[in-house]
Amino acid sequence: MKDSYKGLWWILAIAFILFFIVSAADGKVSFFGYTPKPSAMYACLLGGENAAAQPDRPVKVGAVELKEPETDTVPAIDTVPKTILFFGDSMLEGLSPRLAAYCQASGHTLYTVIWYSSTSERWGSSSRLSDYIRRIRPDYIFISLGANELFVADIIGKRSRYVRNILRDIGDIPYVWIGPPNWKDDTGVNRMILENAAPGCFFLSDGMKFDRKKDGAHPTSASARLWMDSVVRWMPGHCAHPILMKEPSGQSARPARVFIHQPED
Amino acid sequence: MTLWSDLSRNLGEILSYTPGSPMLFSSGLFWGLFLVFLPLYSMLRDRRRQMLVFVVLFSFYFYYRCSGWFVLLLFATSMVDWGLSRLMVRCRSNRARKCCVAVSLLASLGVLGYFKYADFFLWNWSALVGTNFEPLELILPVGISFYTFQSISYIIDVYKGAVAPTRTWLEYAFFLSFFPALVAGPIVRADYFLPQIRQSRHATRTEVYTGLWLIILGVVKKAIFADYLAQYNDLVFNAPGAYSGFETAMGIIGYTMQIYCDFSGYSDMAIGLALIMGFKLAQNFDFPYKSQNLTEFWRRWHISLSSWLRDYVYIPLGGNRHGTFRTYLNNFLTMLVGGLWHGAGWKFVFWGAMHGAGLAVHKASRPWLARLGDSMPVRAVSWFVTITTVMLLWVFFRAATFGDAVVLIQHAVCDFSLDYAPRFAAARQLWLVILIAVIATHAMPRGFWNRAGDMFVRSPWPVKLLVFVAVVQCVIELQGQDVSPFIYFQF
Repeated sequence: MKDSYKGLWWILAIAFILFFIVSAADGKVSFFGYTPKPSAMYACLLGGENAAAQPDRPVKVGAVELKEPETDTVPAIDTVPKTILFFGDSMLEGLSPRLAAYCQASGHTLYTVIWYSSTSERWGSSSRLSDYIRRIRPDYIFISLGANELFVADIIGKRSRYVRNILRDIGDIPYVWIGPPNWKDDTGVNRMILENAAPGCFFLSDGMKFDRKKDGAHPTSASARLWMDSVVRWMPGHCAHPILMKEPSGQSARPARVFIHQPED
Repeated sequence: MTLWSDLSRNLGEILSYTPGSPMLFSSGLFWGLFLVFLPLYSMLRDRRRQMLVFVVLFSFYFYYRCSGWFVLLLFATSMVDWGLSRLMVRCRSNRARKCCVAVSLLASLGVLGYFKYADFFLWNWSALVGTNFEPLELILPVGISFYTFQSISYIIDVYKGAVAPTRTWLEYAFFLSFFPALVAGPIVRADYFLPQIRQSRHATRTEVYTGLWLIILGVVKKAIFADYLAQYNDLVFNAPGAYSGFETAMGIIGYTMQIYCDFSGYSDMAIGLALIMGFKLAQNFDFPYKSQNLTEFWRRWHISLSSWLRDYVYIPLGGNRHGTFRTYLNNFLTMLVGGLWHGAGWKFVFWGAMHGAGLAVHKASRPWLARLGDSMPVRAVSWFVTITTVMLLWVFFRAATFGDAVVLIQHAVCDFSLDYAPRFAAARQLWLVILIAVIATHAMPRGFWNRAGDMFVRSPWPVKLLVFVAVVQCVIELQGQDVSPFIYFQF
């Protein structure tokens, strides 16, 4: 290597090694009382599957460890009217009208995007979500995805990256991911979403009792309403970014607009 | 064994294209890759052909990592342009040469138009004729506006005889895909850059460390200042009307500084990287918010785009050669094109049109302004009027819709009250400190920054290491969960 580059290369290399060590030590290194915040370098390079997920204080619930928001205090309820995007699979048919009723009562505007038979893979490998985010400019997002992936083998290995893509598209927008309403034990979809979602952003539906439609999978309208009610009740106290959700007078309402996509779209 | 399998799997994932996650110069991934790139580049620098192959491959990989298989589009663009430029050289008749230019422009602008403007035109068409609009949902290839403008300038310059066409595709591909400037500029001009490719020159030690200094400045501007300011600005712009007038005004000022830090920070990094490789890219920003009129602002802001628009739009339209009215009109039309270049939407057209109108007004009032003299109060008022105009127009640039922009400005002006200031300062201390730091650093004279750069270059090696480590740690400390991509990536 030419002399003029040697000095620069060593600066870059030494700094790289230094930050890698700090990252591997994960907050256990201090300099004169200062503990540098570690980067995600180590986890990105040498971490196991889903290494990017931050370890949080876990609360054991069934087979899945739920993560609570990092702060010790309960986040205050955000009372500013929101533009809400609710996207996901056919479960939205039941959830969305009830959420629309809450939104109507609370001054929020709800846009619903139903993509029938969709999975994290479909959403995470297309630009559909980012296009809707660009169009609608939501400042809050609800997701209901995972019901079509309950029995995918090696789901964590195969689909984690798509969940991360979805969350990357969502970016800084606060969100709640409503887990699928299991009718049988899943092969890891709930764990996969949980491990990738930020603390306080995943609502575990597994373990809830549902009245099902004839297909044995979708909750009935009444059961879906109760399901949405449970999410709303869970938000203050558990959700990372709770928003105002006033009790609606009616049982259901219409979102401001519903966008529908067929499975083959 | 698990360690190696984890490493190989993670590397595979990191190095492959991930939609919505372009490779940023300020990312650890680019840093790691540059550590590998630098010694190889240094070894190949004297072997021109091998160096060209190596850098072109790296640039194409860089583009693949940012934009996926659109890298094939970049490859096709380079092939078509280079082929047509070679054909142009062989053509004797002017008509055939013009035909080559027309085909090249049609191809370049056609691709740009399709990816960037198809939805916009379809939306407007359906609004006119009252049909249901179904968006094409096209993904915009990263940086397409930048490299399209480069390719246009090359083909026109070759036609005019201002630039000799490259003998090999490799040379042209190097020019078009040069990774430091590929995805967000500065727009590189062939007459300035091609001679540098032909000189096989190593960067001096001073140039290498000046490059590092520029990269550090760029990282501070982008990853510390712009990204942190964005956290609050996004709240204000995403919920227009939800914040008080004072908070909205702070959001507008914050965005004004954010877009400058974001874009000029990227330019600094690009120029620094090129300098380390021994290539000089032209300055792209020159303290634009010090401008005392809009004409001066456009001579200091995104200089590579302004000069491109001047040379390839304003002058061909007639420039100032056809009387006063045509000069104003040409200015206006040029800025309209500039607005549309920034985005496919009426708000961008409005933003460009207002800047065009502002330039015309400034030119028209020059005789009157000259009579006012050049005293301190006149300069202060000129600066205030200019910066206020620029800030208000940025609102249209950033807001989601035209209506949102109007609401934001209404709030900032009509509901403004300093009563909110103490509470705001208490709640957003660090944000305010960073905003003041940005304004203060921008206000420093150019000489200060030149001296600081010289001091850094002359400083002992451990000091350079310390500065670099300190800056990277600051980035890590302030970094949110998601890194905002460069604002100009979308253009």
